[in-house]
Amino acid sequence: MNRWKKKSFLGLEGLERWEILEIIETAEKFLVQKKNEKEVGSLLRGRRIINLFMEPSTRTRVAFEIAAKSLGADVISISGEASSLTKGETLRDTALNVRALGADAIVIRHSSPGSPFLLSNIVDVPIINAGDGAHEHPSQGLLDIFTLREKMGDLEGKRITILGDILFSRVARSNLFGLTTLGAQVTLAGPSTLVPKEFNALGASVTHNLAEALEDADAVMLLRIQHERQSATHFPSLTEYSKMFGLNKSVLDLMKPDSVILHPGPLNRGVEIESDLADSSRSLILRQVSNGIAVRMAILYLCVTAGSKGGNR
Amino acid sequence: MGADLLNLNIIGARLLDPECGIDRKGDLYIRDGKIYFEKPEDRSIAVEDLNIPSHVIMPGLLDLRAHPRDPSHGNCESIYSVTRSAARGGFVGILAMPDTTPHADNPGTIRFIQDRIKQSACVRVWLAGCLTKESKGEVMAPLGSLKEAGIAAVTDCPFSPVDSQIFLNSVHYAKMFDLPVIEFPREMYLTKNGHAHESALSLKMGLGGFPRIAEEIAVQRAISIAKNLDAPIHLSSISSSEAIELIREAKKKEVRITADSTAHHLLLNEKAIVNYDSNAKTLPPLREEVDRQALVQAVCDGTIDAITSGHQPYPEHEKKVEFDRAPAGVIGLETAFASAFDSLVKHTDDPFPIIAKAMSMSPHKVLMLKPPGLKDGNLANLTIIQNNSKWTYFATQGLSGAVNSPIDGRSFSSKIAMTIVDGKQVYNSMACEE
Repeated sequence: MNRWKKKSFLGLEGLERWEILEIIETAEKFLVQKKNEKEVGSLLRGRRIINLFMEPSTRTRVAFEIAAKSLGADVISISGEASSLTKGETLRDTALNVRALGADAIVIRHSSPGSPFLLSNIVDVPIINAGDGAHEHPSQGLLDIFTLREKMGDLEGKRITILGDILFSRVARSNLFGLTTLGAQVTLAGPSTLVPKEFNALGASVTHNLAEALEDADAVMLLRIQHERQSATHFPSLTEYSKMFGLNKSVLDLMKPDSVILHPGPLNRGVEIESDLADSSRSLILRQVSNGIAVRMAILYLCVTAGSKGGNR
Repeated sequence: MGADLLNLNIIGARLLDPECGIDRKGDLYIRDGKIYFEKPEDRSIAVEDLNIPSHVIMPGLLDLRAHPRDPSHGNCESIYSVTRSAARGGFVGILAMPDTTPHADNPGTIRFIQDRIKQSACVRVWLAGCLTKESKGEVMAPLGSLKEAGIAAVTDCPFSPVDSQIFLNSVHYAKMFDLPVIEFPREMYLTKNGHAHESALSLKMGLGGFPRIAEEIAVQRAISIAKNLDAPIHLSSISSSEAIELIREAKKKEVRITADSTAHHLLLNEKAIVNYDSNAKTLPPLREEVDRQALVQAVCDGTIDAITSGHQPYPEHEKKVEFDRAPAGVIGLETAFASAFDSLVKHTDDPFPIIAKAMSMSPHKVLMLKPPGLKDGNLANLTIIQNNSKWTYFATQGLSGAVNSPIDGRSFSSKIAMTIVDGKQVYNSMACEE
């Protein structure tokens, strides 16, 4: 019997420790029970889950689709380009229509921070945040935490470094909120323009020194660097970034021998990480992807079940 | 305006006019719309006595920043509704910003708006023209022709000219016509993706920052230009504590700088936007508590000369969208006085003299207008306030065409009882209660 009461999953900020652990433990069960798919495969039978993806996404959308199907739900995915939003329909109207079409839950990816929160005020079905602008990507944060726990157990006191474009990263924020709730010590690292010192106020240490960021870390989480988008004015070039902050064999010696490397994808091989390192035994990158399905199954299962019991937001 | 010239005996109220050095309990007699301190004996008709010992009578409030945006495609506000809203807020006049469609950057548009004012306004409406064409900051607007058409000030509010040469030359050129220049201090590049005050909160919420420094840079530019040209510049909607310091220093050096802040910036801080409430997305953004405290202090010590409503109406379907897609700006005419009063009363025992200065005297002076003093024989332009009268504001019950208020549902301690414009009563809450 689960204690989970929230019908929407809007972010890791504000979730209590037991809530994060409950999702993780549920995901662990799903990972084990995969072999016994018949039982798991009927948990959300007859439920209609709509993926509303207003921004491009491969792994998150596919992982949510597989997760919903693995639980027996019907899944419909709508992408931004193919929806009426390109005809000028507002998110509010799209959501009301999706609700009217009988959605039992809406998984939303949107470029505007807070849009899942807005949606949860408009429609009464569970809203699952699959990434909202630079705000949160809580299912990614949870699967990162899941993967870290799988490798190193309890995260209390563990040192986790997140390296890269923190300013525009929703993954960094969700990890920061989730990891600090579980007692980990989070260091945010990267160029000063992409890692403002104000992050200190949110419970993180901030450094712009790569050696300092790597030397004590039990895990290093890399973020995708995008120079073509909003961060174009924040650092000179990908080449310079790679030289100053890229993870390559020459800086590997700075890291603890048993530390691990994570990356939410998609990878820029040769920019934030040297290609060989991404494929090395230290890398948990593909493990993250597989775990992503179990974690999203847990989120969907807990929220949709809470929703049908009239759970709170 | 329709209404008749007022005849009324106001008995026992506090009469307050810092400009004329009046602050005493007394009676005021209005005959055919004109003010008298002694009861005129020449009348045979019965004149009503209004016994209001707990009320304050002061020269009428003037708002230096309202955006009626009439004409404007698809807007919900009009000269008719915005002036009713102003009257309820105690304002005898507003300065209408030039961000209409088309822009108020040519005499034709000014005359068109003046026609609408003649048809439907119930308070005085002064017009601000654009400082640059379409407020794009590229080409100077025809300031001389605009002045001839009857504008009272020039501004590119809610924008600021990016090109400092255009700005400097516009201020220089406007000085020739004694046209007050109002600068909305905002470095445009630094605020390009700004949706909230840049702080730990905006970082947490993933919102692009509108940093203090964007205001400070523009304030410093205005101070340097005002000093260099010996020309007056009024700074609109100051929101940051550091900008206040720059203004304070400039005033010490007698640079011709004046400044205002909106009433909602005196009342609220950035915490109003948690939960992504786009009705709390203001322009400039609400900042931290330290800024709010500094603003209130600056109003009390006169560094900030004036308090405005910053009234920016938006229809609900435009405003209630994703936070970063919602336009910045909130309504405030009906709550400006009450917000200012409740903010100031925590810092000073008697906010009324400060309110009279900041909401009536100074705004008139910024526009180079004669303040509507409490003088024998003057046409009455008065605001009557009921002290210690708790009321709750509900945006949907307001007279503005819009409801985008960050203080919907909030209770206040003092309220506007009556507004008298050019000798005519345009709002009376006492009558509403009856």
